[in-house]
Amino acid sequence: MSQTLDPRAAAHVSEVAVSVELQTPGMTINIGPQHPSTHGVLRLVAELDGERIVNVEPVIGYMHRGYEKLSEVRTYPQITALVNRIDWVSGFANEIPLIVAVERLMEIEVPERAQSIRLILTELARISNHLVFLSSYPLELGASTPLMHALREREHVLELIEGVTGGRFHPNFNRIGGVKPAAGGGSTQKKVLQDLPKGFLAETRLAMEKVMAICDDLDSLVTGNEIFHARTKGVAIVPPDLALAYGVSGPNLRASGVAFDLRKHEDYLPYDKYDFDVAIGENGDCFDRFDVRLQEVRQAARIIGQAIDDIPSGPLQAKVPRVIKVPKGETYVRAENPKGEMGYYIVSEGGRIPYRLKIRTPSFSNLSILPWALKGLLVPDIIALLGSLDFVLGDVDR
Amino acid sequence: MRSGISVTTNPPDEPESAVDAGDSRSEVAELAARVAELVGSESWSADFGNAKVRVDRSQWFEAVEAARDGADLAFFSFLSAIDWSNDVAVGEPLDETVEERYEILVRLSSGRNNDSVTLSTDVPKNDARIPTLVDLFGGANWHEREAAEMFGIEFEGHPNLNRLYLTDEFEGHPLRKTYPLVSREIKPWPGMVDVEDMPSTENPEAEQAGSSEDEASNQQPAASSEVEAGSGERAAGSGSPEGDAQ
Repeated sequence: MSQTLDPRAAAHVSEVAVSVELQTPGMTINIGPQHPSTHGVLRLVAELDGERIVNVEPVIGYMHRGYEKLSEVRTYPQITALVNRIDWVSGFANEIPLIVAVERLMEIEVPERAQSIRLILTELARISNHLVFLSSYPLELGASTPLMHALREREHVLELIEGVTGGRFHPNFNRIGGVKPAAGGGSTQKKVLQDLPKGFLAETRLAMEKVMAICDDLDSLVTGNEIFHARTKGVAIVPPDLALAYGVSGPNLRASGVAFDLRKHEDYLPYDKYDFDVAIGENGDCFDRFDVRLQEVRQAARIIGQAIDDIPSGPLQAKVPRVIKVPKGETYVRAENPKGEMGYYIVSEGGRIPYRLKIRTPSFSNLSILPWALKGLLVPDIIALLGSLDFVLGDVDR
Repeated sequence: MRSGISVTTNPPDEPESAVDAGDSRSEVAELAARVAELVGSESWSADFGNAKVRVDRSQWFEAVEAARDGADLAFFSFLSAIDWSNDVAVGEPLDETVEERYEILVRLSSGRNNDSVTLSTDVPKNDARIPTLVDLFGGANWHEREAAEMFGIEFEGHPNLNRLYLTDEFEGHPLRKTYPLVSREIKPWPGMVDVEDMPSTENPEAEQAGSSEDEASNQQPAASSEVEAGSGERAAGSGSPEGDAQ
């Protein structure tokens, strides 16, 4: 009698009864292809054991546009317009490795001024890309305030890009041998002073101050936030050796503690002229992936600050043949894009059209670590990891 | 016989004009030679800053493993293929007849410095099979799935070689050169006007020489002769038979 009245024993009995009646077999659920956290159209087929993830199979290809095939019927200058659309959050940066690869095959020396302008715009694209990430990632985890602040400052950066190139997202500004002269400037060397809009330097300086200020705001709003810590610290840790083997690159790789930045190693743009630090994380968790990008915005602003102080004067365009024919050969040029290593492997047979153009995009390899990284985590961690990888489906599917 | 890459056991002769690029070029050549020795291959090239080592299909897995461990190339950049085809449905046909084959490329890089090497091998079209690299690099999984559906290459031992981008009902392998770009077949692309010779660009050199820009007319012939020199050097550096590739 006393035994049946013992509440602990009663609880034990009911537990046994529940576990007998309710089995918890694996459940398979579909996440996406339409889901806010997937940043586009990505479908995840998740096998769950309760809240725990047993296996995740990403299904991609909803945005496959066949750029590699389309490139085989386009001339090199026409492909530039195409590749803007691969990663539309940092359109300008997509053009750089392609153009540099063509220039390397043609052995064209690009004027210093053009290189400097390319570098400034690439870093502006990096800031713009990272501000989207820094604002949308807390939103996905439930904090909506940073979005308003960061996107306001990003607008200044987009205006700067638009002022120089005419386009906010798809600048199509690079030309083989240099950059496009401003409208009305003409391609003649005598009018090159019209390349940057009036007041560009002063406006850039002002915008960089605002960017630095928003970084401090984000620091106090997000990185010190206890809820944010709870959602991201120690979540989805990617060890460095695994990140390398999966081809994870860019801020995601550096968050895992690998101090690898192509801006320091490759010579596609004159980064060696400027001082900047490579931000690296310690643990490789979601928090580090956020923090590394926050530091990178500060470093990018630092690079731009130095670069606008000494833009070399001179022509915008090297002398190139009117019809771009690329000599027979193969090359691979890669660049540190905001999302990681972006590269183009060009196989030219001496014509105006590439025989084969392989596009290596960072998000594709970054996302391929998903099945490994999500194993054993909880369902809400899917959102935390997906957001922290900062991918764009156009960059995954090409 | 096609001569896509220069097959040589010696570093290619560096052009005298390229003073600036000289250092980095010899660095690339040195790296290519080092990796070639590691993987037991005698054919490599370092043109246009692209260190490329040719290996035999039977040595594919072992060669990639040796390069990864011996030369500290732990970063998996990409894997893809090239369809060397005489029958071309899209783009420009090749100037000379080539040996029909798929060339498989894998790009490995260092996670510490700028070392980066392309390893490549050939598979015949009637027997397009090659061992998978998934056991060496987890990242090879998706890249091989893409190459499999785009070119119809079978990666032996791959854990799930199913479709990546394309739907299950899709027929054919779109990145094969014989696969037509259907939208282009139906309606000629308006942008083709830039691709075809226009009256004003039929003779680019004459057009440029006749330009009103003084500077342009002075510099343009130099630019075009540079291009010619580049392709000439390319032709001279290549030409060994593909059979040498081991």
